Amino acid sequence: MITIRNLTVKFNDKIILDNISMGIGKGEFVGILGPNGAGKTTLIKTILGLIKPSNGTITIDNKSISEYMNRKSNLIGYLPQHAIVNWNMPIRVIDAVMIENIKPFGLFRKYKKDEIESAKYWLELFGVGDRMYSYIKELSGGQQQRVSLARCMIHNPELLILDEPNTAIDAVYNTKLYEILKELSIKNRMTIIMVSHDIGAVTKYVDEVMCLNVKLHCHSKANKINFSTVLREVYGDDMEVVIHGDGCKNCALNRGNK
Amino acid sequence: MIWDILVRAFVVGVLLSVLLSIMSYFVVIRKMTFAGVGIAHSAFGGIALNFLFGFMGYAFPLMFSILASLLIAFMYKKGKMSEDSAIDVIFVFSMAFGVFVLSISNGYSANMLGILFGNILSVTNTNMIISIIVFCFGFLFISYYFSHFQLMSYNEELAYISSIKVDFLYYLFWAVLSVVIVLSIKLIGIILVNAFLVLPTLVGSNLSKNYKTIVLYAVLSSIFSITTGIFAAYMLNTPAGPTIVLVFVVLWISSLIFKKITA
Repeated sequence: MITIRNLTVKFNDKIILDNISMGIGKGEFVGILGPNGAGKTTLIKTILGLIKPSNGTITIDNKSISEYMNRKSNLIGYLPQHAIVNWNMPIRVIDAVMIENIKPFGLFRKYKKDEIESAKYWLELFGVGDRMYSYIKELSGGQQQRVSLARCMIHNPELLILDEPNTAIDAVYNTKLYEILKELSIKNRMTIIMVSHDIGAVTKYVDEVMCLNVKLHCHSKANKINFSTVLREVYGDDMEVVIHGDGCKNCALNRGNK
Repeated sequence: MIWDILVRAFVVGVLLSVLLSIMSYFVVIRKMTFAGVGIAHSAFGGIALNFLFGFMGYAFPLMFSILASLLIAFMYKKGKMSEDSAIDVIFVFSMAFGVFVLSISNGYSANMLGILFGNILSVTNTNMIISIIVFCFGFLFISYYFSHFQLMSYNEELAYISSIKVDFLYYLFWAVLSVVIVLSIKLIGIILVNAFLVLPTLVGSNLSKNYKTIVLYAVLSSIFSITTGIFAAYMLNTPAGPTIVLVFVVLWISSLIFKKITA
């Protein structure tokens, strides 16, 4: 679905992404790992067309990003980092979920019944259905993040790009979130790209892992990666990775499943 | 005769204040109120050029304000320097340039108070007709693109990927705002016109939590303040701008008390 060839991004001559080539298939669930400043957010913003590459090309379904997005509205669901959303706006949760549904003369519009039901479905799935008519600034950070996830899903996008979706979300709900995402990628064949610092959980749920630190250090099936070697290369320090599996009965992730 | 003057002032005041109050919603939620100060004061340079060359029209003030607004918007967008610093530079340059030009032109001082604080008598039939045209265009523009601006205020990146022409709409918003501000200067004055970019939404926010009713209360409070203020200015023979703004501030304090009582 997504093909990246020789992608380089520079800001003021500083190389942020260096000669990255990779492909992501339809319905794949990809996790991007890397330390702060590794270029993870820059990579997804370049895929979204928000940043112009200094060199190289990105195509989605063999089309340029703008051609792909012009084909039909809301083909992409995007969750930006929590901190760059204006949570002080005087809007209700349902308004935030519907905010990308752009209509002329929007000040005077009312939501249709099916729009309200769709918003309710996704809000309930993410555990905030009871807050549909609350104001977004009255929610906790974790609840706001769940509202953003519902907003991403409301148009049933083909491509879902999530920048640190687990910010402010508690460890127990994190498991539920990953399970929902995994199910969406399988049942709806939704392509999901997720930036996360949650190394252990990412490796458990995603199909493919990308380890990024300016260069792409690996892009492989999660179970085929030698994490101790790759992560030492990417993060620069000795790291111990704990993979949460069924045998890990005492950790918070599995306690949440019970 | 006096009724003609009052009617003109009411028509211009109500139409422009409705536009300013709707636009104030976006100015306040994007925390760009200081930009309004910069745009209003930048018109002073253009008005000074009018005096120097003996012109009466809007060409110079509009040129200055639109240029200043686009420059301010550009600096906000690009983040090349701190926004407050950028606005401050434009603001002080325009004021300094205006005073400098006025000091070398003749016979300006008599009209100075009117420029700074507004004058009901200065509103002409031409002003009224231009205000009606600008209101029709501006109201259509802001109403049509309300959802677009709402998404841009929520998160600009989402607006980009929703195929909204973010930069174009952003600059157009500031250009339209600067036109409305320049037209409002005759009535409210350069110093106080910014009140209409802040107070309407502050009053609305005290009375409601929802954006639709905030905008509604912003519009109603503006209409109330401008009509009461013009009438009071006429009765008390005071400058229009300060009188209107004083009414607005009293209204804002009342809304604040209402909020405290009903909380």
